[in-house]
Formats: sequence, C-alpha cells, structure tokens
Amino acid sequence: MISKVVKLISWIHPGLVICLGGLLIPFIPSRRLKQVYFLLLPLAGLTILVLTSMGRFGALTPWPESLHLWRVPFLHYTLDVVRINKLSLLFGYVYVIAAFCMNIYALRVKNDWEHVAAMIYVGSALGAIFAGDFFTLFFCLEIMSWAPFFLILFSGTKKAFGAAVRYILWHHFSGVCILAGIVIHAHYTGSIEFAHMPWGWGGKYLGSNLILLGFIINAATTPFHSWLSDSYSEATPSGSIYMTAYTTKTAIFCLIMTFSGVPLLMWLGAIQAVFALFLAVLENDGRRLCSYHIISQIGYMVAGVGMGTEIAINGAAAHALCHIIYNALLYMGAGCALVVVGTAKFDKLGGLYKYMPISFWLYMVGGFSISGFPLFNGFISKTMTIEAAELIQNPIIYLLLEGATVGTFLHTGLKLPWNIWLQGRKEPPAEIRAKLKDSAVNTPVHMLIGMAILAFLCIFLGVYPKILYDMLPFPVTFVPFTLTRVFTITQLFLFAFLGFWVLRKLVSGHPGYVLDTDWFVRIPGRLFIKFCQGPLLSFGSFLDQQIMRITAMVVATLRQSQLEERLTPMAIGYGVMASIALFSLFLIFKL
Amino acid sequence: MNKLRIYPKKLFWRLYWIILLVSLVLDFFWLYRHAFHYHFSFQYLPQFFAIFGLFGCMVLILIAKAMGIIIVVDEDYYQKNRAGRQDDQQGGQID
Repeated sequence: MISKVVKLISWIHPGLVICLGGLLIPFIPSRRLKQVYFLLLPLAGLTILVLTSMGRFGALTPWPESLHLWRVPFLHYTLDVVRINKLSLLFGYVYVIAAFCMNIYALRVKNDWEHVAAMIYVGSALGAIFAGDFFTLFFCLEIMSWAPFFLILFSGTKKAFGAAVRYILWHHFSGVCILAGIVIHAHYTGSIEFAHMPWGWGGKYLGSNLILLGFIINAATTPFHSWLSDSYSEATPSGSIYMTAYTTKTAIFCLIMTFSGVPLLMWLGAIQAVFALFLAVLENDGRRLCSYHIISQIGYMVAGVGMGTEIAINGAAAHALCHIIYNALLYMGAGCALVVVGTAKFDKLGGLYKYMPISFWLYMVGGFSISGFPLFNGFISKTMTIEAAELIQNPIIYLLLEGATVGTFLHTGLKLPWNIWLQGRKEPPAEIRAKLKDSAVNTPVHMLIGMAILAFLCIFLGVYPKILYDMLPFPVTFVPFTLTRVFTITQLFLFAFLGFWVLRKLVSGHPGYVLDTDWFVRIPGRLFIKFCQGPLLSFGSFLDQQIMRITAMVVATLRQSQLEERLTPMAIGYGVMASIALFSLFLIFKL
Repeated sequence: MNKLRIYPKKLFWRLYWIILLVSLVLDFFWLYRHAFHYHFSFQYLPQFFAIFGLFGCMVLILIAKAMGIIIVVDEDYYQKNRAGRQDDQQGGQID
C-alpha cells in the first residue's frame, strides 16, 4: 500500500496542482496575497514541467514512446492517468506559460470565482493532455467543458446566459459522442489506450467515428464551429482569453494522438480555414472576428493532422503552440477596448489610437503573427503546414491554405486595427471619448504587461524558432527563412493590403448579426419546440379527452346491472382464449 | 501639429508604392535567375503571388459581401423571432 502511495507521488500532476490550488483562491484573506498566489499557480506547474523534462521523474523517451507514471486499476482496466511524451510536454509548457500571462491580464478581476473557474479549466486541460487512457481523457474533457460555462455565465447578461447554455449543450453532445465511441471501442477491442485509432467508413468503425465527431466538435471544425464564435464573444473580457487557448487546442492534441493521417480531416480543415474568413468579413464585433480567426487557424492544424506526414504533424503541433500565444494576444487587444470603453463593436469605435497606442502596437504584433509575417511566430509554424500541403502535391489544399493566409492578414492585420484604433479619425466618437482619460495609458498596466510578455514570445519564437523546433515530436529539417518563402509571403501581403485599401469602405463595421451554421440547429429546434408546445400538446390533450370519454362510457356500461349476469365464466374463458391466440400470433410473426 | 500628422502618411504611401514596384521587379529578376524553389508549376507564373494576394483579398471581400445580403440580420434576430410565444411572458425559455 505504502509503496503504491510512494509511486503515486513520484510525479506531481501540474493539472492537479493548478486545479486544487485554484479552489483555495476565494479563501485567501488579503487581496495582495491572493494576487501573488494566483500568479504562482501556473509557475508551480511550469516548475514541475521543467523538472520533468530534466528527467527528474524518469528518463524521457523519444517520440512516439511515452513515459507512464500513474497507473491505477479500475474495473478490469488499468487507468493510465499520466503519460508523458514529447507532444504532451510541448502542449503542457505552452498551457502553463499562457496561463501565467492570462493570469496577469486577469489580475484585477473582482469575482474570485472567475479565477477558480479559470484555474480548474487550465488544470483539467493539463489533465487531458497528460491522460494515457480514454476514461481519464473523458473525465478531464468533461470538467473542461464545464469550467468555461461559468466563465461565460459570470458576464451576467441575459445574452451571456443563453450563450452559456448553448455552449454547454454543444459540449454535452460532443461528450456523449466521445463516451459512446469509447464504450464501443472498448467493447470491441478491449483496450482503452489513448492511442492511434483505425479509421474508415462503415459500421466496423462506428466507435472511431463517434470519437472523431466528438473531437471535431471540440475543435470547432466546420460545420460544427458556431459554438465558438457564439460563446467566446459573450464571456467576460478576461474569461474569454482563457477560452481561446484550451478547449480547441486540447481537441487538436487528441486528434494528433488518435486520428493523424485521416484524409477527411485534411479537407475539413482546409475548408474550415477559408470558410470562417467569409463570415469574418461581415463581422462587426471585435471579439467575434477574433473568434472566426481561431476557427480559421484551427483549420491549419486540422488539415495538418489530416495530412499525417511528419512535417504536417510537426506543423500542426507548432502552430497550436504559436496560435495559443498570438491568439491570446489578439483577444487581449480586442478585450482592452472592451474593458476601457465598454464595447468592441466596429461601428461605434475608431480613432482610439491617440488614447491607447501601446495596446495598439502590442495588438499589431499579434496581428502580424497570426498573418504569418516573417520574424513573427505565425510564419515559422504556418509555413510548415503549407509546405506539408505542397509536399503531398495537393494543389487545392495548398491554395485554400495560402488563400486563408491572405484573408487572415486582411482581417486581423488590417480590418480590426483599422476599425478599432484608426478609421482615419483623430478622435473617437463622442460617447466613446467621454469614457477615456486624457492620457496615453488608458489600458490598465497589468493588462499591458500580460500582453507584452505574449508579444515578446511572438517575436522571440519568430526570430529564434530552433527552441520550438527542438521540442516538436519529429526531428525538424524544415528551414523557414528561405528566399522563396520570405519573398512570396511579403509580396502576398503587399498586394493584399492594396486590395484592402481599395475596398476598405466595404469592410467597415455595420451593425448586424451574422448568421452561422447554428441557424440549422436553432431555428428548426425552435420550430420543433413550438410544434411540441402547440399542435403536439393539443393533440395530446385531445387524445387524452377521447380516451377518458371511452373509459367513462365503458365504466358506465359495466355499471349497468344486466351486464353482470351476462359475464359468465364461459364468456371470460372466451376472452382469455382470444387474447392468448392474439399473443401467439404476435409471437409467431415477430420471432 | 497638423503638418506633423500628415507627413508620415505621405511618407508611408510613397514607401509603399516604391516597395510594391521593387517587389514586382524583383519577382521577374529572381524568376529569371531561377532563384525560387516551388512545388507546383502554377507558382512559377510571373507575378502569381501578387495577383493571388490582390484578387484573393478582393474576391474574398466581394463574395462575403454578397453572402451578407442573406446572412446579415438584425442584432436581436434570435430574440425577435421568439416574440409572441406563450412561454415568453413566463420567462421560461432560454436562448
């Protein structure tokens, strides 16, 4: 027993530390102490991870082998609670580093329970990526789907409540799919190992397909992407930052582990990368626009997973890492406007540059990164996936992905900053101006610090990609900075800018709501509920009345005295015989 | 002050056009010198990426705007569609 316990504490799970540590936050009396503690939690996780990669808890093995640490017997399976490999360590690192920057950004949030929800979210995400079997994974994914529910709910508006409920419904659906898939898979193969799964069409692969469906809903793959833009834009300003990073990227991790090399994913990913951009053109809300860019960028990763070659998997993993960093930065930038002036709608903003220049430039670092400018981190990871598409000689996938690069630059590099900070105005509109102080630092300083660390990481990884490439699962031979690639992408952006400038009036904000694929769920769903409440209920009550009437009639007839005389044992016998005959007929035909 | 604000704008545009022209010339030059290593034959077309960037961007905006005629609706679309339902008065429905 004791040896078992000693074995259990041979590694401390950073997810557990962050999760349980987060629960203590509301009980810390001093405000200052609370803030320090809040910042220390991800650092504790980081320390554990650093010690792990130094080999303190057992020598690390090269990909794809893993180090298994906590094994717990459960029913007649063995739960592999902790499995560490190169990929999970990579994701673990970026999760805790991003959490640290996000915690700085969220430092002054008044509601302690928001911190708790965020930390449980981060902790369970770490649990999911270190899970070695499907049951543990499912358990962590379920916690992970609940924590953001509260982050949305804490916004306190009626709209947010609706978004939170829709969010949790989507994730319950995906969770049920994953669980059903796991049960079917475990039943047929007897294994619950979280590893590569066979995939194909047809009943034999039902379990795999259900798990795949669950994962792609979590990864917000088209056509199941609408939950992301719907819910992320309604969460609290700091809560939404956490949400950008963990759910979708954990899904990407799961896809890499289980479904790498599934051609369906390659196509879905490439379509997703482009489709989200069309909706982003029409979007009027800064945070919804960034949400569509999360969807679009995830398209690159999903496509990379689908291609399944070494460089594609490397590209997907590297892009997931870079994406967490720059997308948090973008969301923070849009969130700055939201925190300071109370809105991120394009038609109400413009001209903020004079009052928030620092957040503008920090945002632009994120904007250049997501577009994939040379020397920013998007470049070193996105080009890897595009190169993978070139190497498998698939021109359509290549054109879709390269085209998405142009669209990304158009929106996050040009449209959003133009509409929020510039619009050719020197002063913001009057009602916005009233909320601003006469200084260049309207954004709270801790927010700027959080953004600055992320911006530094964006540039650092972009200039010195070796540190990232060394952590990738497969050895990297890819060289990002070649003349062809740098020149091509620069020319692409120069001309995209020209296109934007010509049509800039068209992309300015107009109030409105952009319908998404969830229309096909929400409106028919509403009609179904209407149908249930109207015709179905009245039909039900009609049926009820008729049955009651018939019963009353039967009872009335039975109460008549002469019937009692007719109901002889003979008559009852006939009745029983008739029902037995009917029942045997039923059996004969049915069996 | 006014002059100072306008000046960088002019400079920006001048620089932009110069860089644009230089990139066009360089593209021809490096293509001629076989400096590029692409994977598809269409990438070797002269100015492929310039055209792709310019038209990709404009086509994206125009198609999206055309889509917008149908899919952009009032901001309270989902709330409005619900009006007149029985349970709305009771406040029972969430979405």
